[in-house]
Amino acid sequence: MNLLQYVPGDSFLHKLNPVTKLFAAFLYGVACIVTQSVWVEIVLIMLMLAISTLAGLQKRALHLAKNLFILGLFMFVLQLLFVRTGEPLLVYNNFCFFTTGGLSSALLLSFRIIGTMLPLMLLFAITQMNDLCSALVKCLHVPYKYAFIVTTAFRFVPLFTTEFHDIEDAQKARGVEYDTKNFFKKMSLIAPLFVPLLISSLKKVDSGAVSAELRGFHLRTVKSGYKEYPFGLQDGICAVCILCLIAGAAVL
Amino acid sequence: MLTFDKVSFAYPDAKETINQLSFHIEKGEMVSLIGSNGAGKSTISRLANGLLLPTAGKVYVDGADTQRTKTSAIAKKVGFLFQNPDRQICQNSVYDEIAFGLKVQGFSKEETDRRTKEVLETFSLKGDWFPFTRSRGERQRIALASVLVTKPELVILDEPTTGLDYRECIMIMDYLTQLNKTENVTVLMVSHDMELVQEYAKRVLVLTRGRLVGDGNTNAIMKDMSILSKANVIPAQIPTLALKFGDRFSDVYTIEEMVDAIKKEKQQGKGEVAS
Ligand SMILES: Nc1ncnc2c1ncn2[C@@H]1O[C@H](COP(=O)(O)OP(=O)(O)OP(=O)(O)O)[C@@H](O)[C@H]1O
Ligand SMILES: [Mg+2]
Repeated sequence: MNLLQYVPGDSFLHKLNPVTKLFAAFLYGVACIVTQSVWVEIVLIMLMLAISTLAGLQKRALHLAKNLFILGLFMFVLQLLFVRTGEPLLVYNNFCFFTTGGLSSALLLSFRIIGTMLPLMLLFAITQMNDLCSALVKCLHVPYKYAFIVTTAFRFVPLFTTEFHDIEDAQKARGVEYDTKNFFKKMSLIAPLFVPLLISSLKKVDSGAVSAELRGFHLRTVKSGYKEYPFGLQDGICAVCILCLIAGAAVL
Repeated sequence: MLTFDKVSFAYPDAKETINQLSFHIEKGEMVSLIGSNGAGKSTISRLANGLLLPTAGKVYVDGADTQRTKTSAIAKKVGFLFQNPDRQICQNSVYDEIAFGLKVQGFSKEETDRRTKEVLETFSLKGDWFPFTRSRGERQRIALASVLVTKPELVILDEPTTGLDYRECIMIMDYLTQLNKTENVTVLMVSHDMELVQEYAKRVLVLTRGRLVGDGNTNAIMKDMSILSKANVIPAQIPTLALKFGDRFSDVYTIEEMVDAIKKEKQQGKGEVAS
């Protein structure tokens, strides 16, 4: 499953103005950062999962949460072992493995990672890159060039992944043992892949740029987009909700 | 050498691309796979060396089930040329690129050097070229040379002659034919060029939307309009011309045969007048 790919739909989330979506996702992350309580953190994550389910994205949200959980777990272990405040919790032969302070900060941090990343990643599921780009230009008057750079960068991620798999296949077909089960062997074999990957990517970027330029890319202005992105009632409601959320998270 | 047994295949989240396909290719055959764009030719070639695994049915390469054999092991017997040569080029010089496959498969240093030089000669390539900046046709030749250098028992070529000028097409096809004759190499070639198919392939597989609609002797298939129209294929020029004349040139497929047939008619014509 591609975690950055747009999932078509017409839920209330899909219908929001792209700019609202971007800021809401960002502010939701801020709420997760300002709170100091593990419980609020858990509630925020559950709430996000519930909202995604309402928008028909439960599969994607759970998949994302699972992946972020692995990252969270990694951070959890690190924090647990290195933060040494509070009372010793697990002591064996006079060696203290972790402390109460370590445990609580590790829990908070790993949930915070999941809570912050989840809305940002879900943004890609409900927003088309082109829409986000045009809306930023229309509503916030971001120069088109910069909006284009960012959105194009994201568009290249899935492209690179397919490209990488194709090149991997080509090497397998020549007898390189990428299909080995040995992780270290595989890593050492992957090195020669980067050359063709880099070359083909650069070629693609280069020809893409030339082709855009040939079709009058530099002529583009704010007026060049036909689609309008008005703010509606639902955007207002969303903004109020998200502000309440941050206030609540900060107080609790 | 290669057997497809009721093979079906679907890409993830898509409907079936290959549907209940069966065929068998004997060792030493030279077979061409034809069909319109998107018919599933590249998919079949990937199924044939285990890059893709069938969702139903079995593929056997030289008796080995692809489901149980790693692609890198199959690669020792099967040479595979991708539709896009840039996929496989990964070294900084043409010499290293061609030697790469030999090294990977564990050939000795002397053997690697000998074979690489030989192939460089045959394909008129220079060992010190930087492969990525060569022309499209040259890159295609480099990719092909690095596939053939390991002398595989079966070569699968996905449109080997696209982007090559006619002289190079002929050169490559002649080389393949020679490999096929002298070393008994089996060749499966995907191609849109009916002139080449007519001239070089003994047998043709015709594919339409993942189904095999024709399988047989090239000459017979090229006369069968009911098959060809299903696959949106127009046969080579000489057979097309011959077909327009009905019975008059019923066994004519190449330029030489056409010339002979016309000469013969002329002589017979003269003979009739004289008698
Ligand atoms: N990676 C993929 N994921 C999903 N669908 C694919 C993928 N690759 C190919 N397809 C689909 O499978 C079908 C067959 O593709 P395939 O590449 O085998 O066609 P082809 O006969 O080689 O065409 P061409 O003559 O253009 O090379 C097409 O409809 C294509 O869209
Ligand atoms: Mg193809």
